[in-house]
Amino acid sequence: MLRIDNLHVRAGEKEILTGVTLHVAPGEVHAIMGPNGSGKSTLVQVLAGREGYEVTAGSVTYQGRDLLALAPEERAREGVFLAFQYPVEIPGVNNAYLLKAALNAIRKHRGEPEVDAFEFLALVREKMKLMQMDESFLSRGVNEGFSGGEKKRNEILQMAVLEPTLALLDETDSGLDIDALRVVANGVNSLRRPDRAIVMVTHYQRLLDYIEPDKVHVLAGGRIAKTGDKSLALELEKRGYDWIKQEAA
Amino acid sequence: MSVAPALQANATLERYRTLFEERFTSGPLLEARRDALDAFLKRGFPTQRDEQWKYTSLRRLEARTFVLGEAAPVSLEPARRPWITHGGGFRLVFVNGHWAPALSSPMAQPPGVTLVTLGEWVKHEPDAVLEYLAQASHRSASALEQLNAAFFEDGLVIRLSPNARVDDPIHVVHVWTSTTRPAMAHPRVLVRAGHHSSCTLIEQYVCCGEPESFTNVVAILDLEEGAQVQHYRLQQESPKAFHIGHIDVCVRRDARYGIHDFSLGATLSRLNIRVRLQEPGAHTDLHGLLPPSGTQHLDTHTLIEHIAPHTTSTENYRGIADGRGRGVFNGKVLVHPGAQKTDAHQSSRNLLLSPTAEFNAKPELEIYADDVKCSHGATIGQLDATALFYLRSRGISEADARVLLIHAFAHAVLASVETPAVREHLEALLAARFGSTQVTS
Ligand SMILES: Nc1ncnc2c1ncn2[C@@H]1O[C@H](COP(=O)(O)OP(=O)(O)OP(=O)(O)O)[C@@H](O)[C@H]1O
Ligand SMILES: [Mg+2]
Repeated sequence: MLRIDNLHVRAGEKEILTGVTLHVAPGEVHAIMGPNGSGKSTLVQVLAGREGYEVTAGSVTYQGRDLLALAPEERAREGVFLAFQYPVEIPGVNNAYLLKAALNAIRKHRGEPEVDAFEFLALVREKMKLMQMDESFLSRGVNEGFSGGEKKRNEILQMAVLEPTLALLDETDSGLDIDALRVVANGVNSLRRPDRAIVMVTHYQRLLDYIEPDKVHVLAGGRIAKTGDKSLALELEKRGYDWIKQEAA
Repeated sequence: MSVAPALQANATLERYRTLFEERFTSGPLLEARRDALDAFLKRGFPTQRDEQWKYTSLRRLEARTFVLGEAAPVSLEPARRPWITHGGGFRLVFVNGHWAPALSSPMAQPPGVTLVTLGEWVKHEPDAVLEYLAQASHRSASALEQLNAAFFEDGLVIRLSPNARVDDPIHVVHVWTSTTRPAMAHPRVLVRAGHHSSCTLIEQYVCCGEPESFTNVVAILDLEEGAQVQHYRLQQESPKAFHIGHIDVCVRRDARYGIHDFSLGATLSRLNIRVRLQEPGAHTDLHGLLPPSGTQHLDTHTLIEHIAPHTTSTENYRGIADGRGRGVFNGKVLVHPGAQKTDAHQSSRNLLLSPTAEFNAKPELEIYADDVKCSHGATIGQLDATALFYLRSRGISEADARVLLIHAFAHAVLASVETPAVREHLEALLAARFGSTQVTS
């Protein structure tokens, strides 16, 4: 589904990624861990099409296509979804409006009929229930005045409505209380299907108790320094990152 | 050597004298008009050497010759008229500066309100008008206001009786029709809101076609104790128009004056708003949207004077400059000595949509009291790249995302428009200007 090969990324003068290779097959869940500033957000943002980063070498193919050649909106319509580490507040753009516009943009691209107001509301109500979100969030500006945890929930609500093929979750678990973590994990798990894949960036082993990963990677020194299974996360919890940095050096 | 340009300038101004002598030959106001004309001619149009006009040049206006606007029919069928036609209320239409009874609501007055056109007032109560003019000249003494006092012909006098609550808006429309020669009008709008009265005033400046016009309007409002006036001002004049407006408001004890200034049209627009918070408890809210595009120059200067203690004001202006458009916002808050417990907040946020667009935003605080709470902030920037990316990452096209963000930015001013007909009208205008999204909502 997703093949990242030898990806080099630079922002201005700074080399952030220096040869990331990562292959994700349909149905898989991958966790990416790593020290602060190691480039985890950079990686997922580049996958989603964020401007301001220069890819100096390497390639990314998604479902057999050159992902980097697509505009961000084209990637979204092709089923790529990024849950932001820091969801953006957009006062004046209605939350429900954005959700519906996004859903219809994707449906239109797939050649499916757009949903009308009635169908949309039914769908969103169902997903909001899943996310245990109050319907009043729909009428507010996008993330406007949302608490940190509410913003994260809203990201997963969007994901649940848009049903992406490749979901990139950037620290969706950070800032969530214990109950919210369970709710968000539920939302993510409900998306799991053999034809979909999930890449989630996290700092905490705890999330992986709820969402069982197939693989755990450590991003350090600009590349994937180590790959393992769930037990790697447990080991990191105990030992920190220094030993990996030393191993990689 | 230095005499020559002055003489030349005088020659330009002399055209106004000639025009005056042709038009005004008798009548009870002649002397007052002539005094005003002399005051104007002596000072001439303000120049950029004047601090208040630093960013706005009137040279293009000065170079043009205007005749006085003449009454004319509006041939457009009702559905295509450029003003707000639904939403009820009481409407008065002025065409090329002259009252057009055929287009206005019948003169049956809503209860508690006396509406008189200025033309009628001059005819029936010239002494009262003279007295008013003498008073007004203290308040509106700038050269351009003197020009208005010399040439004014029509306009509107609104009197609200004490305790009168007028629910339906009073809608004043100034429309220019296509004229063969550039034409000007100097209307006046006078509002006296008796104690504890309230009303909504919608003022619209519109056009049919693209006339070359010059509007120089003076509005004077007095709010007695506890009165509330909500003022919506929509300037939608022709791309060839010059629009100058002066608003002078005096707010008494516990009264509230709110204005939404939508300066959208004209090639050059300058609005001066001065609000005096004269007695304790007086409050004012100023909202404005200035979206210069093409080669438009849109300028609003506001002055809020906190004269009495315990007076409050908020100000929220937004600019969206596109193309080679230029916007100017100057917001001055003056806290007089003794105006303790003043609470004044001002915000001016501005968006540049093109590299050739410009915005000059300047807050000015002048405080002569020590126990006050004042804040101001002015920002100028481009569309937020992170927000753009966020929307695009949800499948929204770049063009649609830009449109959404621009509307969201303007929404901060639109959101506080309480009259639905006004808000819908503005939404349609802004959609026409900035585009609407392809996404179905
Ligand atoms: N546009 C940019 N310009 C310059 N430096 C950047 C840019 N974007 C990211 N960086 C730098 O690249 C490094 C990686 O940042 P990134 O946000 O990807 O880290 P991260 O692994 O997600 O960290 P965290 O765990 O703290 O979220 C950091 O040092 C950051 O300051
Ligand atoms: Mg990060």
